[in-house]
Amino acid sequence: MTKPAIDLLQGTVDVLILRTLAWEPMHGYGVSRFIRQRTEGVLTIESAALYQALHRLERKKWIRAEWGLSENNRRAKYYSLTAEGRRQLREEAATWRSYAEAVFKVLEPV
Amino acid sequence: MGRLRPYLRLPWRSATRLRADLDEELRFYFDMRTRELVEQGMSDADASREAEREFGDVEYTKRYCLAEDAMSRREERRTDVIAELRQDIAHSWRTFRRSPGFAAVSLITLALGIGANTAIFSVVNGLLLRDLPFGDPDRLVRVWGAHKDSGADRSQLSAGDFIDLRTRQHSLSSLGAFAWGGGTYIGTGDPVRLSGARVDANVFTALGVRPYLGRTFALGEDSAGVDPTIVLGFGVWRRVFGSDSTIVGKAINISGRSRTVIGVLPPQFFFPTMAEAEIFTPLDLTPLLRDVNRIRKFHNLGAIGRLRPGATIEQARSELSGIMAQLERDFPQSNSNMGVNTAAMRDAVVGDTRPALLVLLGASLLVLLIACANVAGMLLSRAVSRRQELAVRAALGAGRARLVRQMMTESVVLALCGGAIGLALALWGTRALVATAADRLPAAGQVTVDATVLLTALAVTIACGVVFGLVPALAASRGIQLGLKDAGRGSSGGVARHRMRTMLVTGQLALAVMLLVGAGLLVRSLDRLQRRDLGYSIESTLTFELVLAGDRYDKPGAEDQFFDAVYARLQALPGVVAVGGSGNIPMRGGAMASLAIDGRPEPEGKLPEVGYQPVSDNLFKAMAVPLKRGRAFGPQDHKDAPPVVILSESLVKAFWPNGDPIGARVRLGPNPNDPWMTVVGVVGDVNMGVADNSRPTAYVSARQDHWGGAAIVVRTSTDPMSLLPAVRREVRAIDATIPVAEAHSMKQVQSMELTDRRLPMQLMASFALLALVLAAVGVYGVMAYSVAARTREIGVRVALGAQPKTVFGMVVRQGMGAAAAGLTVGLLGAAALGKVLTSLLYGVKPTDVFTFVGVAGVLLAVVLAACLVPARRALRVDPLEALRSE
Repeated sequence: MTKPAIDLLQGTVDVLILRTLAWEPMHGYGVSRFIRQRTEGVLTIESAALYQALHRLERKKWIRAEWGLSENNRRAKYYSLTAEGRRQLREEAATWRSYAEAVFKVLEPV
Repeated sequence: MGRLRPYLRLPWRSATRLRADLDEELRFYFDMRTRELVEQGMSDADASREAEREFGDVEYTKRYCLAEDAMSRREERRTDVIAELRQDIAHSWRTFRRSPGFAAVSLITLALGIGANTAIFSVVNGLLLRDLPFGDPDRLVRVWGAHKDSGADRSQLSAGDFIDLRTRQHSLSSLGAFAWGGGTYIGTGDPVRLSGARVDANVFTALGVRPYLGRTFALGEDSAGVDPTIVLGFGVWRRVFGSDSTIVGKAINISGRSRTVIGVLPPQFFFPTMAEAEIFTPLDLTPLLRDVNRIRKFHNLGAIGRLRPGATIEQARSELSGIMAQLERDFPQSNSNMGVNTAAMRDAVVGDTRPALLVLLGASLLVLLIACANVAGMLLSRAVSRRQELAVRAALGAGRARLVRQMMTESVVLALCGGAIGLALALWGTRALVATAADRLPAAGQVTVDATVLLTALAVTIACGVVFGLVPALAASRGIQLGLKDAGRGSSGGVARHRMRTMLVTGQLALAVMLLVGAGLLVRSLDRLQRRDLGYSIESTLTFELVLAGDRYDKPGAEDQFFDAVYARLQALPGVVAVGGSGNIPMRGGAMASLAIDGRPEPEGKLPEVGYQPVSDNLFKAMAVPLKRGRAFGPQDHKDAPPVVILSESLVKAFWPNGDPIGARVRLGPNPNDPWMTVVGVVGDVNMGVADNSRPTAYVSARQDHWGGAAIVVRTSTDPMSLLPAVRREVRAIDATIPVAEAHSMKQVQSMELTDRRLPMQLMASFALLALVLAAVGVYGVMAYSVAARTREIGVRVALGAQPKTVFGMVVRQGMGAAAAGLTVGLLGAAALGKVLTSLLYGVKPTDVFTFVGVAGVLLAVVLAACLVPARRALRVDPLEALRSE
């Protein structure tokens, strides 16, 4: 795992996880599958980065973890958004949107 | 559900737990991902490999996640603890609000216990622990002369011995001498008598004092011929000189002599072992050193030294003793049996107060223990009524540790509230103590409630909370399961708890007994002191000091003239029975002189030492000291008449076995050229000190040995203090520059002299009383609880025909059983610990039977009284009611 890429990646992975968990509480595997399906394979997050992010976000109290039962009746750790996480998501999403718009404004004339 | 519940809140997972959780989480991921890949058509082995590959760095991820989890766990734990603490405190508050009676009694109990402790500790801290207000105070030593024959080891040194000690020693970097000084300040207003010391230049150097204004004495400033100077204490500078910041360099008139002020000492300074000294003048030893008769036989010097860097007090002690032993060999006539005593300055300053303070500190700790036992007892009883509450909380998921913690929080909160009130009491008490003892304790100014005291009080308070909270908390949490079932009514588990309470009460009674014995012994000592035969009467007597000042009294006859005028004018006042004067106020010590008897061979070595007092013609009449033989002094015993002496009975008994010394000739003092004095009378013995018994004393006529002042004694037929304005008026009429100083009734003098003994006695008595009350409350509590718990049993007994007398006796017998046990333990403890009191006692043995029996009687009476209310409640138990209530 190379460290320099992480800083750029972290913010992106975090906001994607938060957005994903805003739908419903999910386990780590669920999050990874959801992002893969949702972006139709365009965005693949390395699972290592995903799990690191989950634990980091839990520490920041943006998400909280609870053990529950999975679809196939196995013990799985479910993550859900906290109120603080929801607030973070709103802020990050707004930042991303204005960032993307700015980038598009530059690219548009092509 | 049972398996899941622990995971619902993920409470504080251990490191192993965290690792296992993470492994399980990742295993779940790999299993799921592998299955997905298999579904897409991969073989099991390929799928598993592919899942591993695409995941990324597993090991790093694990480390990363574990680190994050550990951090969250720490955070969680912290916020949880705080949240639970807040919950517990809020809950405690509600609990206290629900039972205000319990809260009030516990708070008062704790406040008294903690308050007493803190007040005493602040005194101990100020006097025994805090640094003395000198530079590097631990290096300071005090050097005394020691009389090996009489055992007096805190007496003065002679000038010759002092100089030899100073020049021959190597372990001290400086050694300074001081002597009693003082004088009368004659300014624009009334003259003011000021206590002081004469010091050589080394004293302030040794003490390491930095002056507040100006400077202290320079070397050489203490020799004759130099302009007279003076250093003022801070108190006198403020009081008498109005904090005049330009005073340095000004000349002031002290006892008729003009002296230039060269410095003012800092506010916290006190002169060690002579705290009353407020003015300091240079001490010139030359006249003493030149006088062959006084160089080694006139003992008037104190000495203060500072240890050289690297030297220890033991070295200094052995070196000084060695020098003194050499002097003893060189000058047997003057120095036989003379030794030297070297002590750390703190020991010198604290002196006799240390044992009293430590005893009081111990006593206050006992009071605190009793207070804690009381609160613990109350908590134990309450735990019974709270069993149901606890059981409900336990059923709702609170663990045992959590319950104990909650109950501990309650007791610590209780302790803190009590401690806060106690601190307020201590602030007040400390101030009162210092005010009472200010003039008896040299370092009283050091006694304040400072950070050390506050922290100690806090620590003691929390310790109390833990101590009295832990036992009941553990006891209560143990029987929780029973709680819901019997709703706290039955007696299962109550037996052990009741036994614990009885033990607590027995312990309390034992401690109270020990305190009562201590207080009793001190009360008896003071009583003995006050009622001992002084050899004179202190009833209706006024005393004050007159010290002459000014050149005019150097003229021959001037002093006699002044005092004759004083005696005549005061005698003429209405209400005055007799007026006399002496060198020293009785009870405040006196001088000593060697005694030689004409016609008897001089003993080997040193002459015997006896008390020495110059007295006026009528002193014995004024003090009501009986004249046993011969005559008193009169005007015929003037300066030029043959010298005469009056002896005390005990002196006569020691040297004239036939009891008749009249006409014999003696010589007092070290000078062999002094004339013989003829014995003209014998008077009864007089107790001069506070505790020491009368010593053999020789009295000379004040007309034949002028001291430049006198302690006047006026016997009156009215209230002595009411005569004071008239006395002042008469003295002023004779010489307006001579102040009437230290005016008190003799009763006041006695009371002041006994302060050091009365104060510990009063404190001890209050502690003992407090202990008794607290123990009584404890007994009452346990008996009331016992009767309440046995209501049904009593009901059954009454129903079966038990007589009221039997029921009453049953309750009282139970209480008295605890009392007997407590009394036995307490009296044994008191007998064992009595030794620590020995130095505070006078005329009473630490195992005084009267005191022990008295204490036993008091305790039994109080316990009986405390049992009466519960016993009468037992009598009123209605059997029908008691049985129906079950």
